Amino acid sequence: MGWKMRKQTGAGGGNDIQWCFSQVKGAVDDDVAEADIISTVEFNHSGELLATGDKGGRVVIFQQEQENKTQSHSRGEYNVYSTFQSHEPEFDYLKSLEIEEKINKIRWLPQKNAAQFLLSTNDKTIKLWKISERDKRPEGYNLKEEDGRYRDPTTVTTLRVPVFRPMDLMVEASPRRIFANAHTYHINSISINSDYETYLSADDLRINLWHLEITDRSFNIVDIKPANMEELTEVITAAEFHPNSCSTFVYSSSKGTIRLCDMRASALCDRHSKLFEEPEDPSNRSFFSEIISSISDVKFSHSGRYMMTRDYLSVKIWDLNMENRPVETYQVHEYLRSKLCSLYENDCIFDKFECCWNGSDSIVMTGSYNNFFRMFDRNSKRDITLEASRENNKPRTVLKPRKVCASGKRKKDEISVDSLDFNKKILHTAWHPKENIIAVATTNNLYIFQDKMN
Amino acid sequence: MEFKLEAHRIVSISLGKIYSARGQRGGLKLHKNLLVSLVLRSARQVYLSEPGCPPEPPPAAAGHPEEEPPPCPAAWAAEEPPPPPPQDEAGRDCQGPRPRRCCCGENRGGCAGAPPPPHCPRKRSAGERGQAGSPVKKPRREEEEPPPLPPPPPPSPPGEQEDMETGNVASLISIFGSSFSGLLSKEPKGRRRPPLDGGEAAAGTAPAEAAAEPGQICCDEPVLRTLNPWSTAIVAF
Repeated sequence: MGWKMRKQTGAGGGNDIQWCFSQVKGAVDDDVAEADIISTVEFNHSGELLATGDKGGRVVIFQQEQENKTQSHSRGEYNVYSTFQSHEPEFDYLKSLEIEEKINKIRWLPQKNAAQFLLSTNDKTIKLWKISERDKRPEGYNLKEEDGRYRDPTTVTTLRVPVFRPMDLMVEASPRRIFANAHTYHINSISINSDYETYLSADDLRINLWHLEITDRSFNIVDIKPANMEELTEVITAAEFHPNSCSTFVYSSSKGTIRLCDMRASALCDRHSKLFEEPEDPSNRSFFSEIISSISDVKFSHSGRYMMTRDYLSVKIWDLNMENRPVETYQVHEYLRSKLCSLYENDCIFDKFECCWNGSDSIVMTGSYNNFFRMFDRNSKRDITLEASRENNKPRTVLKPRKVCASGKRKKDEISVDSLDFNKKILHTAWHPKENIIAVATTNNLYIFQDKMN
Repeated sequence: MEFKLEAHRIVSISLGKIYSARGQRGGLKLHKNLLVSLVLRSARQVYLSEPGCPPEPPPAAAGHPEEEPPPCPAAWAAEEPPPPPPQDEAGRDCQGPRPRRCCCGENRGGCAGAPPPPHCPRKRSAGERGQAGSPVKKPRREEEEPPPLPPPPPPSPPGEQEDMETGNVASLISIFGSSFSGLLSKEPKGRRRPPLDGGEAAAGTAPAEAAAEPGQICCDEPVLRTLNPWSTAIVAF
């Protein structure tokens, strides 16, 4: 019976991917320290490195082991490569406000030399970090002892040239640039331009353009702050540069609209080039219609032809050439529509789910509650719900699809809406740029799943 | 009617969120507060437009039952100066605990008796009409310019009328005196000063904190009408 269900929900057979548990990182116990709550997950451009940021301002980078020739049935594991404190809590004395150290976003730069670079941001400050390896050190100085103490010059009787000797690998992270004091409101997004020289940072009301080398100034390219704050009706929720066109970017709003802007049109891109908006379905109107239409994430496809948006209940795929409606809409957890009032009460309705594309733009993924996450295959139109839980932690065991019973008689193996744990939410997911490897963050654990090879 | 109940409940919840947002680490979240204010506005519109609004607010069971303390309101009512008619009370209520203090403390003659206990506003039962100070406190948080005066209180003895207006202006002054930094600064609940010391500063913060207690505001229509459902946070920014 269970096997049949698995087949019907599309987890097995044909070209469908069979997802298996690979690894889980993080504390085992249920008592979650707030600082350990994962707030962002991002693969680098090659997929070899996987970075996470947490509420405590820490960045942890995992590196994939080189593929083992003898272990052809699985790809390399991800192990801790570097850990560093990116941001510390700060205090704004002028406003009497504490600035949280929580890492809101991490974005990798493409690799140009031996070192790796990433941008990490909290609510107010963006930092460029250089992560470099050191696996040798010079030894044999004339004037210094091995421990660094200087020798008495009068005792030096011979001359030698220091040589590099191997040492245990050390990975060092150092902040190379600090981009501060440019945002009055809370930064929600950073995005690196395809020119690899500039990047944008977006807060609730403004978007700034930076040059990676220049920290003392930035250009404001979008400003939606009204002259009278009482007239404020929407805020910026996410922004991203187009993957190929270095003058194009999009930003999403709390009203469910996406604006595409071209920086060549004018210095201040307050006037959009395109406005993507789907008319609201009047039959679904409720007190909470505005909240659930607020877009929490926007991501371009790798091809640059499409973009995906996530609002509270759905994922939408937009063709950049069509502004009046999305080309595809996928319901993530429609069964929550009747529970919006409770979700408003317990603040869950404000959860900001992210979404991501697979490398070939054929599948999109997003998170849900009860540690469930969802994938939608754009070609086959099939979808699947999986769970990130330690109970499934036998490597190479195919994950069992989950199903939520919205109403009526609950079938075996289904979960009823009322038994969902709304404290277990998956907000952040990431897909390896080339392989079928995914990273899924629960509250304080990071799960890595791979497709079953052979 | 059901819509009205739900709308009232949503209004209460929303105001509670706005209130508790003040104490959040990292400062007010503009996005969330904007969304809450939109919900608040929708709910308020529904509440006001629905026919058959009951004269008394729905029981607190629809909102926050735990806020109801039986003994206090009686004690409070007993300490009030000689019996204001219910409308009068509502009018005076509009100014928050401070006017009550006005009446008791600031007022020269007034009720020399014990002013209402510090926690009284929080413990007022659903039967009491109009949360203290909502029209005044709400505007303080929502508008950058001085808010319009609350709707004129229903007729009351001239002396009291004048006292209330004085109370109005005085509390407005104190509110803007403490300014938005007072609004933005995190004041843990435990440090709420008793409204009794008569200090202006206390008035500046205490009414705001008392005002946003869930389940207490917008209990009646006149109050609701004057509510500008605009978010605290937005203006504070």
